[in-house]
Amino acid sequence: MSDTAVDAAVDAVRATSGDERLAYRGIFQRMFIRPEIGALIGVVGIWVFFWAVAVPFGNANGASNLIDNTSTLGIMAVAVSMLMIGGEFDLSAGAMTGAMGILVVMLSKATGEFGGTGLNLSIAIPISLAVALGIGYLNGWLVEKTKLPSFTITLATYYVLIGAKLGFSKLIVDQIQVGDIRDAKGHAFWEKVFAAEWDRTKHTFDGRDKIYLVCMLAAIALVVVAMFEMQFSRRQEGLKAAALPEFLIGAAIVIGGIAVLHTTDNVSGNWLGAAIIAIGTLIGMHGFASWRFRPLADRGSIRFAPDVTRMVALGMAGIALAIFFAWKMDANDERDFFFPFTKQGFRATLFLAFGAVGFTLLLIAIAKARRINVMTKSAVSFIALVAIVAMAFFVKSESTSVKFRSEAFSVMLGLGLLVLTWIFVGLLFEERSKVDKGADLLGSRLLGGAAVLAAVGMIVKLLFTSSAEIAAKIPPAKFSMRTVWFIVFTIVAVWVLGRTRFGSWTFAVGGNKEASRQVGVPAARTKTQLFMLVSGAAWLVGMLLAFRLNTIQANTGNGEEFDYIIAAVVGGTLLTGGYGTALGGMLGASIVSMATLGIPFSRWNSDWRFLFLGITLLLAMLANRSIRTKAEGLRR
Amino acid sequence: MTAHLLELDNISKYYGNIIALRDVSTYVNAGEVTCVLGDNGAGKSTFIKILSGVHQQTEGSIRLNGDEVHFDSPRDALAKGIATVYQDLAMVPLMSVWRNFFLGSEPTKNIGPLKWIDKEKAKRIAKDEMKKMGIDIRDTEQPVGTLSGGERQSVAIARAGYFGAKVLILDEPTSALGVKQSGVVLKRIVEARNQGLAVIFITHNPRHAYPVGNRFLILNRGQSMGSFAKEEISVDELTRLMAGGAELEALEHELHSAVSGGR
Repeated sequence: MSDTAVDAAVDAVRATSGDERLAYRGIFQRMFIRPEIGALIGVVGIWVFFWAVAVPFGNANGASNLIDNTSTLGIMAVAVSMLMIGGEFDLSAGAMTGAMGILVVMLSKATGEFGGTGLNLSIAIPISLAVALGIGYLNGWLVEKTKLPSFTITLATYYVLIGAKLGFSKLIVDQIQVGDIRDAKGHAFWEKVFAAEWDRTKHTFDGRDKIYLVCMLAAIALVVVAMFEMQFSRRQEGLKAAALPEFLIGAAIVIGGIAVLHTTDNVSGNWLGAAIIAIGTLIGMHGFASWRFRPLADRGSIRFAPDVTRMVALGMAGIALAIFFAWKMDANDERDFFFPFTKQGFRATLFLAFGAVGFTLLLIAIAKARRINVMTKSAVSFIALVAIVAMAFFVKSESTSVKFRSEAFSVMLGLGLLVLTWIFVGLLFEERSKVDKGADLLGSRLLGGAAVLAAVGMIVKLLFTSSAEIAAKIPPAKFSMRTVWFIVFTIVAVWVLGRTRFGSWTFAVGGNKEASRQVGVPAARTKTQLFMLVSGAAWLVGMLLAFRLNTIQANTGNGEEFDYIIAAVVGGTLLTGGYGTALGGMLGASIVSMATLGIPFSRWNSDWRFLFLGITLLLAMLANRSIRTKAEGLRR
Repeated sequence: MTAHLLELDNISKYYGNIIALRDVSTYVNAGEVTCVLGDNGAGKSTFIKILSGVHQQTEGSIRLNGDEVHFDSPRDALAKGIATVYQDLAMVPLMSVWRNFFLGSEPTKNIGPLKWIDKEKAKRIAKDEMKKMGIDIRDTEQPVGTLSGGERQSVAIARAGYFGAKVLILDEPTSALGVKQSGVVLKRIVEARNQGLAVIFITHNPRHAYPVGNRFLILNRGQSMGSFAKEEISVDELTRLMAGGAELEALEHELHSAVSGGR
């Protein structure tokens, strides 16, 4: 019978594809298939880099500048990301921000003045929003009707807007700038909405550091527990409650150690505290693991395969070179160097670059050793741990120079402790090799909780000052309503893209427009709404600019559309549409903004800013491409 | 005699003075597969387009459960229970299986005016429906692009079945696939049939059509070469009829002499 032949063929297919499906991804592999992971690594990497070399990156003043700059760029980057996911571009977005600012100023100028219509801002602002949405609608309508690439249509809109801005400014007020919005009716109210500021120096809260510390420690603890939960396999026979006291004792010891660390102020006291924390962590995590996880039966013996040995050797060489260069170069030489950096910047760059390469190679070595057996993996991980500790002590010895921060020592030692715990538990308990939805769900909830706690800690630390800081006369810092708008906008965008039909349709029209139309997605409407979303965002940024600057230049915003697109692409959005996230746009905006501000903060020659930005963009796109190929997993 | 689920009576389609299809009649019942076979240019695409509502027939009538119907647009045909799975599949490769499954008809939850996709429900249904088709998707979050060609066809078929299709039209589902993948799709066709769907399976490969079909409509140059039940015809006869019988024999002869002449 031919039916049996068909059955046999089907079974053969199922057998092979079944094997593929069984390949289990560990927690680290799974993390790497998120579209925004490249951007996240970029944000952390660039922040650490500038934090190490530029003083303002560590303090509230620098942070407030950075956040302020990121906010307006971020609103646009998030909106542009969504449009790009929908497969279109909007080159008019940058010029539009300034145009909306000019429009609202003109509408609200006093009637007595030449060209003013004297509208109350409560009328002028909705009118400008309507105009912005109208331009967005027009962009979308033209793109849909003509089927021309949106690149060309919005290029035309871009020039129209530039021309209109300059032309009308000159025609009506005979200047290349219009203002002042402070004279407009209803300014007091609308200024609160768009430009209210929070002056940190006026809000003293001495309990701040305690809250920050508790939040951060709790967040770290949650992350650690979540990672263990997601990586190790649970006991089949139920939890072993007898191990629970050990976990609690360990936790108590850690808290005791932190208390010791805080009450003593001398070197030996610090070491004592650190040692107590380390012991407590090991005991506590051992208790936690024996409570929940299955003991490991076979760990094998250490076998160094040639490729593992080579990777370890190269990784250690990278770290040795990092330490060597930083040690050899004069720490007190502040002269300009031949290339973009000062000599100190060059020194830090070499140190971090070689260090990063070294650790990447060691991570690859661990991944390779993991395939041999548990003992080999632990041994290689231990080598990496030694490297971390060596780096930590080197940084400590060099921390007399401002270019290496003493805080880095504690952070690196803490990281080392976590790696040690991971190795220790990994030697005794079995790692997961199967899907466990319950554990993953619990893990992701814990990670979410950790993120909330860390955010609360950071916000408290950023919003309030302490008497100690006032005494030390640290530079003032202000936060503006624009950041609130940015955060709200990003959260809404993430929700819309991920959870609503409109979000789903955005991905669909960007990924395969014809296909989505066939199954009943209103493709033209979705795209037009996306154009309106971008112009709406441009309107919001225009308002934020108008109430910040009070007068708007005719060229405000021109050319910034490329920054938005760069931020979106750096954030993992595919240039051809159908793939990306709103969160990636936000992260991309932080990267662009850090790259822009970091160079003047580091007191490097800012002529090289765009070179830096260009290289960042190139690296980000290369990283995204390789990640996406893996994520798609297309069999080519 | 009870009415067939879908019956076509002397369908003809002219594009100006070009006769794309002339006097084609066949029918399909629930739980049966009718295969439409034809070489390139035989009128298969015109046939599909009429059934799926893209074009309207010039002459002849379509009866659904005995009542005469007109399909004004693809949406209209879909609403009347005729689902078409095109060769290019209507899938978005970078989107997850469950999003593709529900694309355009996502189930939603709401609080007041706030509406969002009921993700859990969508994932559960997608997984269950795929299971009914005999495909156990480990993770409905995986992008459709990572599925094999046969599995993608299966998603499309499962989707059509779930959204209340009574008649499933498959446009050359096996043409771009390898032998094993074609086997997967043929198995899906059998399963869709067993679930009570009427399937119209368009193909140019009689070896794919014969094992799964109950009836065979053979088209050649826009004309029906006849509609046969499985008992009435063999694979070889199918193949011969498809190519217009005598023409294939002539071609075989030519090929034979060309090959032997070349040696």
